Amino acid sequence: MSAVRAPDEAHRQPPPRGTSHSSLTLALVGSGGDGVALLGDLLLRMAAQLGLHGMMVQSYGPQIRGGESAVILRVAAREVGYEGDRTDVFVCFRLADLRRFQGAVRLHRDSVVILEQSDTQEMPEWIGRSERETFRYPFARFENGIEVPGDPKNMLALALVCKVLGWPAALARETLGQRFGHRPDVLARNLAAFDRALGGPSPSEVRIAPGEGKALFAETGNEAIARGAIEAGVKFFAGYPITPSSEIMETLMDELPVAGGRVVQAEDEIAAIGMVLGASFGGVPSMTATSGPGLSLMTEMAGLSSMAEIPAVIVDCQRAGPATGMPSRTEQSDLNHAIYSGHGDFPRAVLGVFDVVHARDVMHRAVHLAEKYQLPVFVLSDAYIAQRRQIRGPVGERPPISRRDLWSPGMGPARFDLSGDHGVTPFRVPGTPDGTYLAAGIEHTEEGYPTADGTLHHRMNRKRFQKLDAIAAETREWFRVLGRADAAKGLVAWGSQYGLLDEWVGRHEDYRVFLPEILHPFPLGAFEAWRERLGSLAVLEMSYQGQLYRYLAGITNLSGARSITRSGGMPLQIGELERLLEGEER
Amino acid sequence: MKAKDFRSPLEPVWCTGCGDFGVLKGLTQALADLEIPPERLAVISGIGCSSRLPGYTRSYAFNSVHGRALPIATGLKLSRPEITTLVVGGDGDGFSIGLGHLPHAIRRNVDLTYVVLDNGIYGLTKGQSSPTTEVDFKRVRGLAGPDERPLNPVLLVLSSGCGYVARTHAGMLPHLRQTVRDAIRYPGFSFVHVLAGCVTYQTPGYAQEIYQRCDEVPAEYDPSSFQAAMTAACAERFQLGVLYRRDPGDGPLDASEAPGLAGIWQPRPARVSEDAAHEE
Ligand code: SF4
Repeated sequence: MSAVRAPDEAHRQPPPRGTSHSSLTLALVGSGGDGVALLGDLLLRMAAQLGLHGMMVQSYGPQIRGGESAVILRVAAREVGYEGDRTDVFVCFRLADLRRFQGAVRLHRDSVVILEQSDTQEMPEWIGRSERETFRYPFARFENGIEVPGDPKNMLALALVCKVLGWPAALARETLGQRFGHRPDVLARNLAAFDRALGGPSPSEVRIAPGEGKALFAETGNEAIARGAIEAGVKFFAGYPITPSSEIMETLMDELPVAGGRVVQAEDEIAAIGMVLGASFGGVPSMTATSGPGLSLMTEMAGLSSMAEIPAVIVDCQRAGPATGMPSRTEQSDLNHAIYSGHGDFPRAVLGVFDVVHARDVMHRAVHLAEKYQLPVFVLSDAYIAQRRQIRGPVGERPPISRRDLWSPGMGPARFDLSGDHGVTPFRVPGTPDGTYLAAGIEHTEEGYPTADGTLHHRMNRKRFQKLDAIAAETREWFRVLGRADAAKGLVAWGSQYGLLDEWVGRHEDYRVFLPEILHPFPLGAFEAWRERLGSLAVLEMSYQGQLYRYLAGITNLSGARSITRSGGMPLQIGELERLLEGEER
Repeated sequence: MKAKDFRSPLEPVWCTGCGDFGVLKGLTQALADLEIPPERLAVISGIGCSSRLPGYTRSYAFNSVHGRALPIATGLKLSRPEITTLVVGGDGDGFSIGLGHLPHAIRRNVDLTYVVLDNGIYGLTKGQSSPTTEVDFKRVRGLAGPDERPLNPVLLVLSSGCGYVARTHAGMLPHLRQTVRDAIRYPGFSFVHVLAGCVTYQTPGYAQEIYQRCDEVPAEYDPSSFQAAMTAACAERFQLGVLYRRDPGDGPLDASEAPGLAGIWQPRPARVSEDAAHEE
């Protein structure tokens, strides 16, 4: 976690001149190896140091390494969870790389455009949308028409962007120093390139409004989930690498042992969740993280977690599916799986993540529910959140997490006692004298012994499902609403649509939005109250079938509501949402 | 402590004469010998006739899902190292659906004792072939053809680098008791292959035939020799006893101990960082 420091030096503040925008979006496009991602990362770090908010999403070509690479970076005076739909500053090292990303680059009259000087590719017609002069810069060096290694292009671009934004060169140098301090040779070469471009010609300027005046920090959704888990008291993690969730495991490998916990890279997802259940059976708050295909493999053990009443948190970074789908692309199509998957009836809770800032809170809640109610809790993030880097404020204190209700000698109730009314019975932790019992995936008696008694099975089902009622009562306020309470048009959405819709209601005052933080059990009472006196209702999601729509239709009356769905792997943009709401077919 | 101190009140549902009774008895005797307090003991299984065994022990017990006992036990042991953790199950559970976990449990060398009750058949699902069903065993459904060969569990775990490998028979109580006791004492992953008969789905007389094909390893047998263990694993007759025991202080198996398998145990080359190119 980066330290939050006060911006005492005057050089941190951008000079206040000209009109400043409350938010700017930068699109940086290059070939793999051009260091576009690093450029975006450095700029985002600088923004955070300046007290600005913002976020950055990356897009790769189909190649693992090499190919095209693009970064969309937004800096803003307030918190944002959406990369914006206007490109204000556009840097492109090679026009040939643009094809895949032109949907993400949306120039307007006043966009600043910076291109490679020697690029002879015909400029796409839409670049002409900017009425400013296109700034050409010799990023590449050529001998006999062949590109030879020269100054790092991204360092030259860093200097140019600093000039465009009016950001202090001293801050850029300091940021480079933090990034490359461990490699003095690289640092020196990068600084030399930066200084060379700084001394050269300057593109035209656009200014961003000053930030909060205190330095913030940036993290990815996956880092936030890992850190939220640690803060919530998770002490054991097992997982198997899978895009786009791997960085949760990687972050935990670095940070969980420091917090006294343990991480195992398992041989597969089944083993991963098995280890989680083993550790949790031992009384230790435990979790795993995966993505669609891994979630499928974990399904049987999710049922075991519920049946044997062993807490487990399962994070799913959704990607476009099914099967292998599009691993680096986002979707919201694992909702059905989280809510309905598995054989037999078993209760589980399902939470959705809005953005990076929300991720830590969600993990706190997930661990709380799993531990308190002794069941599996699914946390649905997605690729759009997982791999975005987002600036956030300092992490606040949270109330301490409730612990598992533990059995102690002489306490009485059997491990699966049926007499309670909330389904939760004290957990027996190995090591507790006189507490031995059998945990089982097979249906069991109150003591835990196997049984095929149908009446008892029904009563055990009731015991287990009573937990859902208790969770529903506890979580009925777990939702967010956006927009004016009297707006006539309603949108229901979930997860990573949050950032987009937060901006949407700022521009469309006729809309109000309902976003559940817990998807199952759904905060139905709050939803029914929110939708009163609505003129129209639409359910918006990134799935093909309309999974949220169908789920809601199963628990409430949705007649007259529209289902607005779009799969495809790319996050929705405001312009696209406008068209979708106007009923345009894709 | 007595063996019965490790028995739960539950009566086994096994068929009268099932080899699993012997294992339950020998195992509880071994636990009594070691005087492990039941609350510090966990017995984990998957599914199958023999996987019912944890329910019959007084311990923290877990009868989980098919084939997954080892990951569950690994998670428990890593998070609660002070709990003595046993894994029990059958040949289908361990060598068929759950086989993928076995070499990894061995590789991690977590201090578990894995006792496999091998009856060479699927008892709970009524008589299909298992991965250790012998080729000429005609009554069994599920064999693809006469060339379908049984796995050799001992060879399998030896070649995965297991530091403690033993074999015993469900009908030889003192031998079983002693073997399990030694295996639990071994600090690291230990594997005990128990030949156990199914009286219901095996051909009549087959269990007896297996028993008669057993030999205890001779007194001069050297369990520290990997080559001896490999020879014993491949012997025509079942060799019983501690077949391999690597001193826990000796570190991982050295390729020189197993020339034929040298490639498997080559030390890994140091990892070259690729980050450099990426960061520039
Ligand atoms: S079916 Fe075979 S293995 Fe299963 S309990 Fe009966 S005798 Fe034992």
